[in-house]
Amino acid sequence: MGTTTAIRTKTYVGERIRRKEDPRLITGTATYVDDIQMPGMHHASIVRSPHAAARIKGIDAKRALETPGVVAVFTGADVKEVGPVPCGASLPGLRVPQHSILARDRVYFVGHPVAVVVATDRYVARDAVDLVEVDYEPLPAVADPERALEPGAPAVHPEWPDNVAFTYHQEGGDVNKAFAGAEVVVKQRITSQRLIPTAMETRGVVADWRAGDKALTLYSSTQIPHLLRTLVAMMLGLAENRLRVVAPEVGGGFGSKLNVYAEEALMGFVAMRIGKPVKWIESRRENFAATIHGRGHVDYFELAANKDGTILGLKLKLIQDLGAYHQLLTPAIPTLSVLMIPGVYRFQNVFCDIVGVFTNCVPTDAYRGAGRPEATHGIERMVDILADELKIDAAEIRRKNFVRPDEFPFATATGLSYDSGNYAAPLDKALEIVDYNRLLEEQQQARKEGRLVGVGISTYGEICAFGPSPATPAGGWESGSVNIDPTGKVTVATGASPHGQGEETTFAQIAADELGIDIDDVVVVHGDTAIVSYGIGTFGSRATAVGGTAVYFALQELKKKIGTFGAMLLDSGDVSYRAGRCICNKTGKSVSLSEIAAASYRAMKLPPNTEPGLVSTCFWEPPNFTFPFGAHIAVTEIDRETGAVSVKRYVAVDDCGKIINPLLVDGQVHGGVVQGLGQALFEQAVYDETGQLVTGELMDYAVPKATMVPWIESSHTETPSPVNPLGVKGVGEAGTIGASPAIVNSVVDALSHLGVQHLDMPLTPERVWRTLQQHGGQA
Amino acid sequence: MKISGAYRLSLPQERAYALLQDPAMLAHCMPGAERLDKVGEDEYQMKLRMSIASISGNFDGRVRVADKNPHQSFRLVVEGTGKIGFVRGDGLLRIAAEDSGSNVTYEGDVQVGGTIAAVGQRLLDVTSKMMIKRFFDKFAEAAASA
Repeated sequence: MGTTTAIRTKTYVGERIRRKEDPRLITGTATYVDDIQMPGMHHASIVRSPHAAARIKGIDAKRALETPGVVAVFTGADVKEVGPVPCGASLPGLRVPQHSILARDRVYFVGHPVAVVVATDRYVARDAVDLVEVDYEPLPAVADPERALEPGAPAVHPEWPDNVAFTYHQEGGDVNKAFAGAEVVVKQRITSQRLIPTAMETRGVVADWRAGDKALTLYSSTQIPHLLRTLVAMMLGLAENRLRVVAPEVGGGFGSKLNVYAEEALMGFVAMRIGKPVKWIESRRENFAATIHGRGHVDYFELAANKDGTILGLKLKLIQDLGAYHQLLTPAIPTLSVLMIPGVYRFQNVFCDIVGVFTNCVPTDAYRGAGRPEATHGIERMVDILADELKIDAAEIRRKNFVRPDEFPFATATGLSYDSGNYAAPLDKALEIVDYNRLLEEQQQARKEGRLVGVGISTYGEICAFGPSPATPAGGWESGSVNIDPTGKVTVATGASPHGQGEETTFAQIAADELGIDIDDVVVVHGDTAIVSYGIGTFGSRATAVGGTAVYFALQELKKKIGTFGAMLLDSGDVSYRAGRCICNKTGKSVSLSEIAAASYRAMKLPPNTEPGLVSTCFWEPPNFTFPFGAHIAVTEIDRETGAVSVKRYVAVDDCGKIINPLLVDGQVHGGVVQGLGQALFEQAVYDETGQLVTGELMDYAVPKATMVPWIESSHTETPSPVNPLGVKGVGEAGTIGASPAIVNSVVDALSHLGVQHLDMPLTPERVWRTLQQHGGQA
Repeated sequence: MKISGAYRLSLPQERAYALLQDPAMLAHCMPGAERLDKVGEDEYQMKLRMSIASISGNFDGRVRVADKNPHQSFRLVVEGTGKIGFVRGDGLLRIAAEDSGSNVTYEGDVQVGGTIAAVGQRLLDVTSKMMIKRFFDKFAEAAASA
């Protein structure tokens, strides 16, 4: 007989349970890609272009190859058989440049991989990179998307001299009528600057080729192990069942590892060529230059309204800086901005045009929020600009335009169906927390004293739980398996591949509650295609709402089988399952889950039409997205002498549906807000006019440090989602989406009495100081 | 990056013009120059060591003198590549007689790429100014003792 499973009556869902994954993370005992060591392992280092655009006239690897320890150098000519880096997004008329894993005859951005050096030692490999002589003929480059659209601009890809990768139009309602009948129209150019995702762990790959088995194992720091397996197998011409992908501990992704990168296929190629395992770990500077960037919008907004503040319609021309290539989802990201452009508001007339522009920069792609922060920043800025124009209070104008609680499910002009919501609830709560009316009085008093104090509100709506399969490039379902061992211990396997979100804890909470067992009897496994059923991955705040639901349904199936075995063991047709025991409702006799599990595997006797064992798998397809929302309020003060912005208070009231673990939700909100704050105040990826990335390291790119972050007052309202039985929506990106407009609205508010209507991010002291000089507000 | 400036030399115009194109003088005065070998008419191969911000490295490159307008102006074209990136510069030097000496004005365009651009950008402007000043200071000193 096995061990006894502890019996519980207490439930875990809704409790502040500490993360099961944290002890290994904070004691340095987790295994990341770089921790993997193998006998005979070689090391790769990559030769990258220092030019934004150049023709490659020749590559001389002789000196590198003469270096003791160097075993091979591969260039574009060697990898012709390897398929292109895939673009998973399809749009009508999309121009897709051939994206070889190593440059062939041209380079298109600084950091473009040109060759790979393989050596027995990591440092030898790195040093030998400098000995590979590449003869470049520099060509004119263009880094600014609006400049790239001008006639006569250098062509990023010579075959498409206009630099336009695609145009995309979406409209709903009758925007011309709305604008013709409007009493007021406000317009603004709003940028959402290029950002560098800066995961704490850079990318890394270990490739292990077993020639005898004809099998390749790739260990990669990825968010999508299964999709990576399918796509890399295609690139390398391997049967998919000969490739195993393992995502060990992943030290942050934020979308930057929701991708298939040249280096992932390249390491597979190298391992297969040299017949030895090979490791590549990205340096921080490579990470800045060659891992995708986020955002990169120039948006031209027009908002039409009546004088009472009722919004009638919106026009948007969106210029998306794509970079030189399409990575996995590059062209799809701005289409999400357009989808979510109505935000939490009722107006039904929308007219949007996207121009996707090639530039000689590293590609942009999904970064925390992926299209929705840009949309939310735009609409929330425009609502504030409208409020300023009409002299209506910022909270009041929002309340006037909110979708009302009785209007759900709400059909937007962009074709979405918002599942549930009560948009005034978090706003009211946030206003109460900051004591809004008193705050406005204090602001007036501060102005009299010559101080610059601002109050900024953002009420965001977002789209999560990606998503119904027809709306996604590769399926929007998720898999969940539950496996109960003969001893009654439970293993949950999820196709979502958590990398910091804490699903080892939240999914264990769900399973422990459903089975009425101790949370420590549940182990959640993920991130290995050899042990987990095919899955889609973790991105778009989908893991709990889609992956958690798959686990939930697998548990329901299993509970039926547990009941069947329990009934057999109790010799009763009337049993119920409570607190980890199957109980005969007539006699009160019971058997524990571990006894049932043992009997199911021992199989001395089986219930009719029942297979041995306790295993269940569910592939769950969601019927809709989920739509979380919330209200953030930032109180800022500006130093007149230096232009420095300090955030005095930051209140976040988020509604992510039902909360499984408030501690983890707070953690997601905190992290999200900090990344939004980073965009609002500090961060910008800067390419100079020749395409050199001049923010090439952390000395020049300001991610927020602990000392730069305000105290975040986080609280919640809970409006369950009807889309899934858990009632959850998603919260991974909410903080980022809500934060940038709250902070920028606050800073603009602080300067509004000087005539400032808009400021573009990041609000560095220099930018704010210059604005003060222009508007006569200097000290 | 645009650079421009002026420097006063207590040398007659003709002598300043000649010495500013003298490879021995250039090699001696250019900060970090390790050697300068003539490879053609008005064209030299150069080895240069450069430090900026937290990085330093060697450049192999070429210096070319062009558009010579005797005693008054010439163009200096510099191209270098190394482990830490590349430098391309193109500048026009004008030499005018002034009192007993001469006044040298220069304006040009410098492009850098690779690691020096990614890491050293913040210091590039001030470093290039400093290097030009050092060049002229040393040049003036060497010319006086020549």
